[in-house]
Amino acid sequence: MEPPAEMVHWMFATGLLLLGLCLLSEAIVGPEVWRARRWRAYLWPGLAFTMGVLMWPVMAFFTNSAIHMYAHGSWAEVLMLAGGAELGLVHGRLKSRWWRLTTPLAFAVTGTAFIVHEQNAWFFQRSAFLHHLLGWTFLGAAIVPLALVFRPRSTVLQSAFALTFVVVATMLYCDRDLAPVFGHLSPLAGVPHR
Amino acid sequence: MKRLLLACVALALALPSSAWAHATLRATTPAFGHEVRTSPPLIRLHFDQHVKILPGAIEVLNDSGRNFAGPARTSGTDVIASVRKLPAGPYTVRWRAISADSHVVSGVWTFGLRVPAPSVQDAYGAGGPTVAEHLVRWVWFLSLALAIGALGFRLICLRGLALPLALERRLAVAAGLGVTVALQAGIAAFSLRSEDALQLPFSRFLYGDLSPMAVTRFGRAFIVMTLGFALVLALIYLAWLLDRTVFLVPAFALSLLFVSGLSLSGHDAVDPGSSWKSELADWVHISAASLWVGGLATLVGVVWYGAPDLRRVAFRRFSELATVAIALVLAAGVYLSIVRLPHLHDLWTVGYGRVLLVKIGLVSCVLAWGGFHKFVIAPALERADGAGFLTRIGRSLAGESLLGAAVLLVAAILVDSRPPAPAVKTAPVAAARR
Repeated sequence: MEPPAEMVHWMFATGLLLLGLCLLSEAIVGPEVWRARRWRAYLWPGLAFTMGVLMWPVMAFFTNSAIHMYAHGSWAEVLMLAGGAELGLVHGRLKSRWWRLTTPLAFAVTGTAFIVHEQNAWFFQRSAFLHHLLGWTFLGAAIVPLALVFRPRSTVLQSAFALTFVVVATMLYCDRDLAPVFGHLSPLAGVPHR
Repeated sequence: MKRLLLACVALALALPSSAWAHATLRATTPAFGHEVRTSPPLIRLHFDQHVKILPGAIEVLNDSGRNFAGPARTSGTDVIASVRKLPAGPYTVRWRAISADSHVVSGVWTFGLRVPAPSVQDAYGAGGPTVAEHLVRWVWFLSLALAIGALGFRLICLRGLALPLALERRLAVAAGLGVTVALQAGIAAFSLRSEDALQLPFSRFLYGDLSPMAVTRFGRAFIVMTLGFALVLALIYLAWLLDRTVFLVPAFALSLLFVSGLSLSGHDAVDPGSSWKSELADWVHISAASLWVGGLATLVGVVWYGAPDLRRVAFRRFSELATVAIALVLAAGVYLSIVRLPHLHDLWTVGYGRVLLVKIGLVSCVLAWGGFHKFVIAPALERADGAGFLTRIGRSLAGESLLGAAVLLVAAILVDSRPPAPAVKTAPVAAARR
């Protein structure tokens, strides 16, 4: 028995919120204070990598359409890639800063998957609105981790990066399987059942 | 307390589910893959939301393609079509509807009237494996062989040796690459098999319902293997990140365990004459072949040119491992050939036998080449120290591993072929139950 789709979105929203709060804390207190305890440096990349691993069950069990299977699969892979690359950098296994390009790549792939997967108009219903908004948010925000590759110590960029995850988590918390957006719901979408 | 909280968060994130908002088929009457005793008066599809119907929304096809369904109508979130009285036999139901999010969603399932339901892969209209499917399965075999071979080589052939850090990492990268490609190949194989069953152009296949495929043996094997190898990838990554070889032990064990998905979803699990012994033999055959071919590729690609100091010991130890692996491959292969082809003349009179004959020929060549390496090159290698000689051996090993890859290609075609039925031939749609 699968739980409703929105619940899975809330679970991943929780993960993304934790991730964003870790990054925000680091941006506020600075890397020197944040990394005074070594394990804290591993928190957000470790969380991203774990979420990537945990996205595979969603991909494998969700087979009621091919496009969602591909979307979930691509998110699993880019989350593991970006989290894994950042873990490698933190641990000293990887040296080149260019590995940080995996994060903007993950944002771009994630955003594209959201937009390609959603073929309805923005105001069809809430999930359609959120898909568009999430897709464009990820695509637009990809510029932030890209800029961080070149200016890794910028507090503004670090804060923007952290807040992106908080915003995305908020959007995912707003999701419902079938619900109006700003009071509008297409008659084709059916009747909200909860 | 901290650990408990972390465990709760991980568990909450792990719970899988369906996602997003287009119509999902929740139940059908008759159910997927069921055998019914009386002719069903109607076909009912129950969705999780309202859908619109299209002309010919439901088709009930017998094994010669005759449609028994009447016009479809909606009732709440159900789509219903009346059905004329059906004679006993296997049936394929094809449906399509406009989802609330305006996507055309489609699907297929099968049931049987007083006969076992055919697999959805054998639904009416499905064309069977294509060249693309053979190639994808080949890539799947190759990547699994690389993953298992690299892990096995590190843990068995290089055990107890002080390895340079760079070699350790290259071995982990080779295994990780194998698993990553295996995951992609698995997705591609599942998609191709589903596309054939659904008989839809790619644009509509994207919104096709794959649930009936997911409950076939192949679908279940795909799900279990995907989850298993995602875990293996994480373990290999941890071994690479932390320089802890200990993570490779569960990765190797899980790889060997989950590669059994190929056996459990193949002919040896379902064809006439199949038993737990044939499934076990197939698993031994695949595992040992993967260890042999993948280990050989690792010896050539990672050790031979990456760690020249280890050439002799690696060659000697792999030679011992390969002897055991080949013995297992041959023993299991001979047993499976007898089970699948009870008569010797089947080897040249039926398609499956002819492909098997090609495979036996190629395996014989690889065995001869491997025997030359073991009985001629290995003793010479202990004495020789010329760089030219060692380079030539490297090329020879590369040739043997390429031939091994060719064997895997034929194996991929063989797995997609169907062994001859031992008794009376039946209609294709009813013949196979996977």
